[in-house]
Parts: sequence; C-alpha cells; structure tokens
Amino acid sequence: MKHQLKQAFSSSKFVLGFVLFSIMLLLAIFYPIFSPFDPMEMVGSIFYPPGTYVSVSDTVQATYNGFNIDPSEAHLKAALSPENREKMKNWLVRFGGVNEADIDIEDTVALVDLWDAHYSSDNPQEGLLSSEKKSYSRLDKSLAKAKTGIKTALYTENSDGEMEESLIISDRDYVRVNDVANTVTLPLGADNFGADMLTKLTNSIRVSLQIGLVAGLIATLIGLTIGLLAGFLGGLVDNILTFLTNIFTVIPSFVILILIANSVGQAGRGPFVVAMIIGVTAWPWTARSVRSQVISLRNRDHVNLSKLSGHSLPHIILNDILPYVASYVVMALILQVSSGILAEAQLSMLGLGPSTTTTTTLGMMMNWAQQYTAHLSGAWWAFIPVILSVAIISFSLNLMNTGLDQIFNPQLRED
Amino acid sequence: MGKVMLEVKELKTKYVTRFKEDVFAVDGVSLKIEEGKSLGVAGESGCGKSTLALSLMGYYFAPLHYISGDIIIDGNNISGMKPDDVRRKILGTEIAYIPQAAMNALNPTQKIIRFVEDVIHVHDKGMSKKDIYDMAVERFRILGLPPEVLQKHAVELSGGMKQRTVIAISTILSPKVLIADEPSSALDVTSQKMVIKMMRELMEKGFIKSMIFITHELPLLYNVTDDIVVMYAGQIVEKGTAKEMVFDPVHPYSKGLMGSIIVPEEGTRDVQLEAIPGTPPNLKHPPDGCRFAARCKYAKPECKVYEVPEKDFEDGRMYRCIYDVDYLKEVYGRNG
Amino acid sequence: MKGFAKYYGKRIGWYLITLVIAIFLNFLLPRLMPGNPVQTLVSEMMGSSTNATAAEKIMQQYTEQFGLDKSIPEQFIIYVGKLLQGDLGISFSQFPRSVGDIISSSVGWTLALQLPAIIVGWILGNFLGAIAAYIRKGVDKVVLPIFMFISNIPAFGLAIVMLFVFSLQLKIAPSGGAYAPDMFPNFSLEFIGSLISHFALPFFTMVLTTIGGQAIGMRSMSIYELNADYVKYSRFLGIKDRKIIVYVFRNAMLPQITGLAMSLGTMVGGNLVAEMIFNYPGIGNTMFSAIGARDYPLLSGCTLMITIMVLIANLVVEILYGIIDPRVKAAQQESEN
Repeated sequence: MKHQLKQAFSSSKFVLGFVLFSIMLLLAIFYPIFSPFDPMEMVGSIFYPPGTYVSVSDTVQATYNGFNIDPSEAHLKAALSPENREKMKNWLVRFGGVNEADIDIEDTVALVDLWDAHYSSDNPQEGLLSSEKKSYSRLDKSLAKAKTGIKTALYTENSDGEMEESLIISDRDYVRVNDVANTVTLPLGADNFGADMLTKLTNSIRVSLQIGLVAGLIATLIGLTIGLLAGFLGGLVDNILTFLTNIFTVIPSFVILILIANSVGQAGRGPFVVAMIIGVTAWPWTARSVRSQVISLRNRDHVNLSKLSGHSLPHIILNDILPYVASYVVMALILQVSSGILAEAQLSMLGLGPSTTTTTTLGMMMNWAQQYTAHLSGAWWAFIPVILSVAIISFSLNLMNTGLDQIFNPQLRED
Repeated sequence: MGKVMLEVKELKTKYVTRFKEDVFAVDGVSLKIEEGKSLGVAGESGCGKSTLALSLMGYYFAPLHYISGDIIIDGNNISGMKPDDVRRKILGTEIAYIPQAAMNALNPTQKIIRFVEDVIHVHDKGMSKKDIYDMAVERFRILGLPPEVLQKHAVELSGGMKQRTVIAISTILSPKVLIADEPSSALDVTSQKMVIKMMRELMEKGFIKSMIFITHELPLLYNVTDDIVVMYAGQIVEKGTAKEMVFDPVHPYSKGLMGSIIVPEEGTRDVQLEAIPGTPPNLKHPPDGCRFAARCKYAKPECKVYEVPEKDFEDGRMYRCIYDVDYLKEVYGRNG
Repeated sequence: MKGFAKYYGKRIGWYLITLVIAIFLNFLLPRLMPGNPVQTLVSEMMGSSTNATAAEKIMQQYTEQFGLDKSIPEQFIIYVGKLLQGDLGISFSQFPRSVGDIISSSVGWTLALQLPAIIVGWILGNFLGAIAAYIRKGVDKVVLPIFMFISNIPAFGLAIVMLFVFSLQLKIAPSGGAYAPDMFPNFSLEFIGSLISHFALPFFTMVLTTIGGQAIGMRSMSIYELNADYVKYSRFLGIKDRKIIVYVFRNAMLPQITGLAMSLGTMVGGNLVAEMIFNYPGIGNTMFSAIGARDYPLLSGCTLMITIMVLIANLVVEILYGIIDPRVKAAQQESEN
C-alpha cells in the first residue's frame, strides 16, 4: 500500500490532480468557518458585483482629509457611459461639423473639449426630435455639473429631533477606508438571493463533494459486487449479471436518473437521496471493468491453490481477488465521484436536483444563476466561479485517475 | 571461396533504457557470410542475439543506437549512410528481416496484398497493382502458400500461416541477406517444419543469396545452417562450421551450450545433459576480462583481468579463450 | 458471410430486448412512487388549471389511456399497445397537442445539432490524440491538457460561458433559439443565415466538450499501437513513417468508435441540458419544460425518445465497426466456432 502511494506520487499528473483537489477541499472545509456570513444568509440583494462596500452613513461621519486633486476628470469619466460617448460623437459629426476621424471617444478629456467647443442648444439641429434635443441638453448639463464639482450638504438630527445642516462636503474631501466603521466585502459578489457568493460557493463545493462521494461509493460498491460475482462465479450467474450490466450500459443512465428523480418527487429529494439515486444508476461500467479484471485473475495459480485448500468463497474473494483489483476499484471510484458531481449538476439544471432550503450544491447554484439569467445580465460572478469549481474538481479527479492509469498500465508511461 | 555477401566488422551498438542507462548488447561483433551460405547465431536468451539481428539491418531507432563498426553488404558499406537512404535503398532489397514475434508483425486491419503493394512501392513506385499481384501470387505459389492468403487480413490467418506469409513478404524483393530472428520458435512442430523447409527453398530457388538464422534451438541450426557462431554477453565467443560447433566445440561456453542439448546423432546419446550454472552478466556494466569467467569452471584468476583476444584459424574457425585448443580438448576429455 | 448475418441478427435481437426493458422501466419507475401517479398528477394539473373542461377531458383521457382501474401488468400491455400505434398520450401543459406531435417537432432539431457536433468532436479529438501520441512534447503537455480541462466543464456550463462571452460581451452571436424570433421557417437565404448563426454557438460548445475525452482515449490507443510489432517490421521493410502512421492511426481509431458508443449516453445527456441553455427547440428543451410544468406524459415521451435514439446510435456504431474493422470479424468467427 505504502509502495503504491509512493508510486502514485511519482506521476506528475497525479500530483497536479491531487494538489488541485486538495485546494478545493481545503477551501470547502475552511472558508465557511472563517467567513462572516452564513451560506444561506441574504446579506445583500440580487447580483451585487464583487467588491468592498462601505456604509454611506459611517463614511460621512468619519474624519475628512482634504486632498489637492482635481476630481473632475474622474467624475467625467464616470458620468460618460459608452452609449453617451457614442451619442456625443454622432452630434458632433452631424451638427458640429467635426471630422469623424478627429473624434476619439475613449479620450474623455479631448471628447469633452470638442463638445464644449461645438455644442450649443441653440443649434437648429435639423432632423432631431424635440425629445432628442432635450436629451442632448440634459447630457450637456450633467457634464457641466461633473466638471464644476458638486457641493453636498450634510444634515444631521439635532437634540430637538430636527434635521439641521451640519456640514458642507467639498468634492476634495476624502475618508480613509479603514476609518469607516461598517464595511462589507463580497469577494465574488452576491448571487440572485443577495447571499455572499464565495461563502455559498465553498459550502456548495463541500455538499457537492459529499454527494459525489456518496454516489461514487454506492456505485462502486454495487459495481464491485456485481463484477466480482459475475467474474468469479462465471456460468449462469455471469450470464445473467453481464446481460443486466450490458443493458444498463446501453440505456443512458441519465434517463433512468431523470425518471427516478422525477418519481421521487420534490418533497422526498434531499441531497442524500439524490446522491443515492445517482449511485444506483451509475454502477454498470464499474461492474464491467471489475468483471474483466476478475476473469483475468480467476485462473491464476494463487487463486487455484486457495480453491484447492478448501477456502470459502468469501475468503477467496477477500484474500485472493480483492487485493489484486483494489487499484482498479480505486480508479473507478475516483471517476465515479467526478461523474456523480456532474450528474448532480445536470439534474439540478433540469430542476430535478436536491430540494432543500438549508444548504446548496454547485448544481443548484448554477440552476439559480440560469433561472435569473445571470449570463445575460452580465453577472459573471454568479456562474463562472461555480462552473470553474465543477471543472476543476472534475479535472483534478480525472488527472489523478490518468496518473494512476499510467502507473498500472506501463504501456502508457511517458519515457 | 564465394563472393562475400555480408561482412560485419567490429560492430558495436547499445540500448538506452527508460532510465537512460546504456546496455551494450552488441559489443564488437565481426562476421562474414559468402553467397549461398547460411550462418546460425546461437546463445542463451539475453546474450544479444536479437539485438544483433536488429543492429545488422543498419537502420537504428530508439531505443537502439549505433556506436561504431562497419556493415558491408555485397561490397557496399552501409554504416556511413544516412538513415533515410538506408531505409529507401537498402532495407527490403539488400537486407531483409523476419521478426521474432511474427504473430503480430502484420498490421491486423490491412489486407496482405495491400501491404505487399506498400513494400514494393517503396522501391519501385511505378509498378502497377496488377503486376504486383501477379508477382506476389507467383512467389506465394512457388513457396507453397495458397495465393488466397493475399486477399485476407492478418487476423484471419493461423499462426503458422502468418509466419510463412511474413517470410514470403520479407523476401519478396529477393534480398541479398536475410536475417531471421527465431522464425520458428513460437510455432507447433508441423508449422516449424514447414517454416524450415521454406527457408531452405528460399535459398535453393535463389530468392535470397545468404541468410543469418538466429535461434536458441541448436538442433535447428545444425539442420539449417552451414556455419554457426555462439554469442555470449554481446560478443561472439566461437565460430565454426555447423558440424564442428556441435560435435567439437572449443570454448567452454559453447561446450556447455552444446552439452545442454540432445543432438539426434549417434554417439551423443551417452553425453550427460548439463545446464550451465549462473546467469549471464549485466550488460549495463560488462565485466573486465573474459565475460564468461564468472560462470566458467575452468577459469583462473587472470581470466577476470585480461581482455581475451579472438583466436583465428586458417579454416575460418575462431574462439575467444586464453587456453589453447589442445589444453581445452584434454580437459574436456578428462571430464568425459 | 452466414456467420456474419447470424451475428448481427443476434445483436439486433439483443437491442430489441434492451428496448423492451427500457420501455418497461419508462412505464414502471413513475408508478413505483407512493399513491397513484397519474391521478396525483392529473389532480395537481386540475388544481392549477383554470380551464375546467380541459382538465376534465384530460382526466378522462388518462383514465382511459392508462387504464387506471386495472392491474399493473394489464396497464403495461395497454401502454405498449398504444405505443405500438405511436400514441404517447396528450400533453398536460400544451393541451390539446399530442406528445407524439410535440416530440416529432423537436427531435429533428436535436438530431441536426447533436449528431454533427458529436461526430466533428470525435474526429477532432482523435486527430488531437494522435498528434499528442506522435509528437508528444508541446502538444502532449500543453494543448491536450487544455482540451482535457475544457472537456471537464459540463456542456451546459460551457454553454452559459459561451453565451456570456459571445452573445453578451462580444455581441457576435444570438442569445438563443434556433432562428430569429421574428422569422417564420422558409427557404430564403436570410432564414438559412439566421439558422446558421443560431446553430454555431451550441454546435461549437458541444464540439469543444467532446474533443478532450476522445483525445485522451486516442492518445492511449495510439501509443499502444506505436509500440506494436508491425510498426517495427514495416520500418525494416523500408516503408516510410508517413505510411506507417496511417496504419497506426487507423488501428487506433477503429476501437475509438466503440469508445464513442460507450460515452454516447453521457455526452447526449450533457448536450441536452446545453440545448436548454441555448433555448434550442430540441428534446432537451422540451424535456426541461415538461419537468417544470409537471407534464408527466411529455417527460415520459422525451425519455423514451432519447433512449431509442441512443440505442439506435449504439447499434449503428456496432454494425459499422464490425464492417470496417477486420479484427471484429475475426473475433466473431472465432466465437461462432
């Protein structure tokens, strides 16, 4: 065993897979412990982008520091959306007589300068509707505001319960972020429920791994039992079991998965039940590969010797067969865990995933992101990290499997 | 003396293992074959016989590497040639090869005739498919193979048939030298006989001009080849005619090797069967001095120190041992 | 030739048995849940329906269709009998359309999308695997792992990413459907252009996820074949490497056909969900809406249709493989003797 482990770690593929998997596992175990949020807690609101949020009230109350920096350019930049820049360009070309080639809409300062030089609301602007003319005039005013800077007055409640002006805030006043008492950091933003994505994601990774493991163990156990019996006993038992195995290899397992999951119904479909359903539909190819391994072992000398010595069937299987197929079983288990995680995600996408309000899975998160069309509203943080997590887990498990395969099948070794 | 078909001078090649270690499996081999003659190469497994077979082809690819020496085929030294030229101009026409495991030597998904076409097209691009087919049918018929074989895939042929097909394909371009590496050892007795018969016919019909026959089965060599060399640890330890080598071996290793077989000839029945104790040396680090010394029951301390020169005789006999012939004969006589 | 026909006769028989079992499972599994499934579903349906006459009609229809008052074996016989007439029942959610009608209008889209995607992915995967096995180094260490990683992204996950990148960010692809929503199917150039532009994204998504897995298999097979004795022998007969590689890759690729058959079920599953993301009007989308609307007859029709398609694909692959790979023919003859 020790020797085999040592061999496994000599394969660079296995090591890379192992490291990736360990990172995901550690993240899943430890991040929720240190996170300030509960995975299901709706801290914010739908699809808050990633970043640090500071309390407005606390910010205005904090100590002000004046900076001698002209904020107008940044204000202009923030005020000018790509659509507005496009609009300004159109106006300048149509009515300002500016050559299209001379306008660079990416250069904020130059664009605004051109605008100031040519725009006038008195321009006849022939061909524009009055509403369009008004929108240009509004845009012009907002630009003017951004340039001059806005003075903000702060009103606070006095001892008589009345609001009174306490302070005029200049646009050159700054507050140190650390001085703000209340801040919220959402490293991966918020999901559609307003929950912290990273906490929810790490929690989901843990649950999905558990589902994968349970499903993988069940599938491997069933596959191993059937494969051992079919391979070792041979004859009629083998014929029947092989017939069954072949049938369930050809009938797509996800069809059976959908049928069972749908029949169990919403109420009965907890994460554990889903894992079990996945497990009982995924065994056929483990059974196939175990059977072929056992058949090649069945007539080895040590097995025959054991038979002649009158050992019982369980004894022979446990002592003379299992140790030899163990490495293949481990490889099969690794793949089963990976396909279990994928199967859960697939079921959830179809709306047949675990039904629970107390925890989440990677599949459920993807399903919610899809339901709320996160990908069409630009909320990449709501689905890309989830998809990447699924891919990394599956990739790492497959790498480990390939690494082990190269060790046990020397043909594939890299020279 | 006939025309020399193949002459090999001090050929050295090595294997490079997965762990980048060098294995000197052919370490200074010289031999010579005349037109119409066949030479047998004998030795235990691991002595470098099969590597010698591959090395003689003059075309090297990993893990086999050329170190030094000359291979001269019909007066033409191929050692200095570019690998691609060897492949195009030498392989198949000048020198041909029959592999050890002919069972898997043919592409399982290709019809035999397609492969024959590929082989011939390497050397004669213009030959039409029909001409090739006619030629192959003719050749197969002469060699006693049913021409229907040409239309089959390798997987559809029996073991013996596959081996004979391989032999026919290898020699289809009438090469000057044929290297056969254990062509019959994996076959049943009947197929073995057919293969041996076929090898003889190849020579008689002039489809090949000379042959090197490698095997661990010595009785076969005695029946098939004119001369025999015995290989040990990458080197030739003794050379002679088949008769001399079987009945009158000089080198203690040849003596041991011949002692470990039964030759169905009168007078050999009483010879005690004996195996040579020990195992051949590791060719990653060949020992100093005589390579057989560690297993030789006549060895003395200097055997393990001094390089043993090849001792040549006028009649072409050669052996590699510090003792002279008379002494060895005397010792053998004493030991029965 | 007689053995050949006999062999395939047996195989077709085996597939028919498998089909019967699949139909049986399709029938039985929903009935294993507690309570009477159809009644529960129909009453659920009635509860949410505002159209009382439609609900009553459906109830009537289903009592008749499933023979609710009869025993399970009898119900199965009725089910199979209806099935043989091509009757899959009436859809709950799209009343009064028949399930058969809905499925036949979606199955073509699925076939047109998935069949070429899987075949192209398979070919490209084999090509990549062969190159990785032959060249090793860069391809093996960089390109192959990239495709391996992509193939570990579930097809529907990649579908979401593709939509985000190409439709939302780069705005070079439509956001879903099979053609522009303001068009009606016709043979105009404009419509065909719309079809193609809607086809591209789902197609490439499915191709990309297929490549990696196939490449890994092909790489292993090619390495195995490159070490085969016939490679050495062919070299010693002077045959050029270019020709030998053709031998090797042909031999390595043929078993990959079976590899394709083995992974077909999983692939189709992932692709069906991807179809749903792209809102492509195929079986995957239909199945999704059936699940959402608790339209049991429609879901059951979809699963049955998918099973039949996978079974047919497997059978076709098996027959094709037997014809083009002489090794299989030899094995068949051996098993006959």
